[in-house]
Amino acid sequence: MILAVVGILGASLVTQHAVSEVVGTQLLARQLLWSCAGVLVLLGLSRVRLDLYAQIAPAVYGLALIALVAVLFVGEARAGTRGWFAVGPLTLQPSEFARVATILMVAAWLGRRSGARLSLREATVTAGLVALSAVLVAAEPDLGVTLTYLPVGAAALWLGGVPRWAWIVMIVVALVAGAAAWHSVLKPFQKERVLTLLDPERDPYGAGYQVRQSKIAVGSGGVVGQGVGRGSQSLLRYLPAQHTDFAFAVWAEATGFVGATGLMLAYALLLYRIGMAAAVAENRLGLVLAILVGSWLAFQVVVNLGMVLGLLPTTGITLPLFSYGGSSLLSTCAALGIVQSVWRHRLVNQ
Amino acid sequence: MEIREDLAPVRRRAVILLLVAFLALGALHMRVAQLQLVAGDHWRRMAENNRLRRLPLSAVRGTIYDRRGRILADNRPTWNLLLFPDEAHNLDRTLLFVANLGVSDAATLHDRVRRRGVDRLAPMLIADDLSWVQVARVRAHQSDHPELSVVAGFRRHYPFAAATAHAVGHLRLVSEDELAAEPELDPDARVGATGIEALTDDFLRGDAGERWVVVSALGRQLGVVRERPAVSGKDLAVTLDAELQQVAAAALGDRAGAVAAIEPRTGAVRILYSAPSFDPELFTGRLSPVAWAELVDDPRHPLQDRSLQGTYPPGSTIKPFFALAGLSDHLVTPRTTVTCTGSLTLYGHRFRCWRRGGHGRVDMLQSIEASCDVYYYQLGQKLGIEGMARWLARFGFGRRSGIGLPSEASGLIGTPEWSRRVRGTPWYPGEAVSVSIGQGPVLATALQLARAYAALANGGRLVTPHLVVGAEDAPVIDLGIDPADLEVVTHGLELVVHGNHGTARSLGRLPVAGKTGTAQVVRLADGVDSSDLDANLQHHAWFVGWAPIDDPRLVVALIVEHGGGGGSVAAPTAGAIFEAALSSDRSVPGGAG
Repeated sequence: MILAVVGILGASLVTQHAVSEVVGTQLLARQLLWSCAGVLVLLGLSRVRLDLYAQIAPAVYGLALIALVAVLFVGEARAGTRGWFAVGPLTLQPSEFARVATILMVAAWLGRRSGARLSLREATVTAGLVALSAVLVAAEPDLGVTLTYLPVGAAALWLGGVPRWAWIVMIVVALVAGAAAWHSVLKPFQKERVLTLLDPERDPYGAGYQVRQSKIAVGSGGVVGQGVGRGSQSLLRYLPAQHTDFAFAVWAEATGFVGATGLMLAYALLLYRIGMAAAVAENRLGLVLAILVGSWLAFQVVVNLGMVLGLLPTTGITLPLFSYGGSSLLSTCAALGIVQSVWRHRLVNQ
Repeated sequence: MEIREDLAPVRRRAVILLLVAFLALGALHMRVAQLQLVAGDHWRRMAENNRLRRLPLSAVRGTIYDRRGRILADNRPTWNLLLFPDEAHNLDRTLLFVANLGVSDAATLHDRVRRRGVDRLAPMLIADDLSWVQVARVRAHQSDHPELSVVAGFRRHYPFAAATAHAVGHLRLVSEDELAAEPELDPDARVGATGIEALTDDFLRGDAGERWVVVSALGRQLGVVRERPAVSGKDLAVTLDAELQQVAAAALGDRAGAVAAIEPRTGAVRILYSAPSFDPELFTGRLSPVAWAELVDDPRHPLQDRSLQGTYPPGSTIKPFFALAGLSDHLVTPRTTVTCTGSLTLYGHRFRCWRRGGHGRVDMLQSIEASCDVYYYQLGQKLGIEGMARWLARFGFGRRSGIGLPSEASGLIGTPEWSRRVRGTPWYPGEAVSVSIGQGPVLATALQLARAYAALANGGRLVTPHLVVGAEDAPVIDLGIDPADLEVVTHGLELVVHGNHGTARSLGRLPVAGKTGTAQVVRLADGVDSSDLDANLQHHAWFVGWAPIDDPRLVVALIVEHGGGGGSVAAPTAGAIFEAALSSDRSVPGGAG
């Protein structure tokens, strides 16, 4: 696992270096800092005993909730959302950490249950734990991160075991809610993003701009790419959000199919390792932990890549470990550290 | 062991989730492959298009000069507003800003942008001829709107305005078809639409250049990759005389009509004027729908070029040609006389002479001088419609003159064959009688008459009227007329002005020879006098002639629509033109060129 993580981090750093020329801030230095911290966190957390996690889960969860509430009041407002704590020169995003805390909490909860299926009460509690955090994040509003709670909640319910009819009901409700949201909640620009998918040339200089530029960047990478720091789309600033949402496009343009495949293999490896950890987990807690982390990460990777490749609407979800962002990096490493702990303690929890 | 079994369903579900995740990753990988491997070239090309931008460099249009070097059309520098639509963050706001400059309204601007299409990455001209205030406003807000750019451009300018509007012509925007055929064309380019501007457009237009620049997404030009400079259009000297055009305009004044004047020896066109005229500067910018409607709906049709497109019955101006025909074909001699009693009955119909009481006994010279209709009724009968048609065709009637302007009309020489083939009705013998005095199914333009009379003035050579000097395009045909016959006819035309009974005696002070003509618009019933007619049913008044008599240097054909009498109305009007032409000739040592 460490190999995969280091590999991804390395690629990330390379990209950030190239991008920092364009974006203008010293991304490389910061990302390097966060990367080192992240690896340390990963290693550190992996040594913590699993049952210890189970014990501190509620406390961590509670802390997270408090932080989420606090940020709504004393957090920094940036780009229309209030989700950051400014601590000196650094910024912390509680929503990222809250996600890990929620996963811990849910896993701890489910870990103590038994039986093949969840009762209604259990299911409700599970959903509620997730929803509580999600709602607070959504209040910021940070829809991108909120969205990542969805796989956590869904995977938790799925693992716990919810009867099929309940799934059908939930899907129907989701569809209805989606339709209602389309008509009344979603703002026009958000609708445009979805419509652009169906007809990419619909608004090439408005909503379709990012997607178009992204596809151009990725596609023009060809087999071996245009070279790091020489990708025309990135260099000439055609590609938006190069260091965050569309970082993969920069990489793909620079390293071509070879590089893109390499990166995706790294993620696949990561996922595989998480799966292995789940396979050898001896109790529910470990299994659920690993799967929840895996679901979340897989979801985020798929959604981000889908967006970059023009298959999904733009959502503001970044690529874990790759996109620039200290809080995201740390929280991901933390989660991975926990999973690593599950793996390491496979022989212990007999 | 217990614990493991407890976990079995959970494990199963976990496996399913992982499988789904891997499947999704796999699908994404295939998408990456599709973008990079399968369609890599396509996206690479799009990347290039992103980067390189082609800016058209407009060519300066050539200046048009008249024969004495006066400027008929040139270019006035203007400030234009260029819009790069793909760089506007919010196109609505941009267009609103432009609309607020006072350029146009937002809806029209949106329309223009939409019609342009966004695929064309070239900039588009969104407004032209900005005032200083507008330029200042755009520059003041430049940082808000980097997609707008003020550039210098040119606007066509016609110093002689309405006096040369038809002859010089004006420009129009390139059409959709032309753009489809030649995608390299600048969609904001203007090409000649009418007149000389259209006739010599290729010569005047020059070649637009282009400049390929590397552009960043912010619209900043990072550098010029390659450039092909524009080639300016060539300047052109035409045969027109601007001063005479103005004289013709003043002479016609408010009345509708046309003047065509050519140099009899070469066919160089000196005047080509049509009234009512219009201000060609209306077409140099964007013509508002209101202004356009005014021009098009005007009942006097100012856009019509009456000197080329207006076909009228030539009336008595046609008589000299039949006289010549009669002499050449040995049907009459100069001394053959006819007694005019005021009317002649043919085919059971009474054909009247314009002079109620008749002219009495007239020979050929007198028939021309006094314009006796009866003489020509009889001569027409001798020539027959075929003979008349043949002679008219020899002098260039019934076909285009070769001046090259596409809007020129061919006129008409009515014959039985024409009647059968084109009109679809049988030919009546009485129509030939009308033709013999230039009425009925015979139509001519002022230019045709000028050309035909030039042949009379220069000894029987049919010249090709031309606006641009180039001998190979302007052939001269020798008609092979017997000089003695021609002498008789020209003497008659001299008497029209200087004889005691000449119908154009009012021009007696000038060394002019020519012929009056009165073309009926409606046939007068017995007992009805022309002065009883409504204004818009009045006859058209013609005068065609040349000056000086012995050394003809200018042939003028003039028509005043619904003017009334040729002698009373057209001749004096033409007189003003002859006067100006003669005095300007005298002022130039060595004579006119």
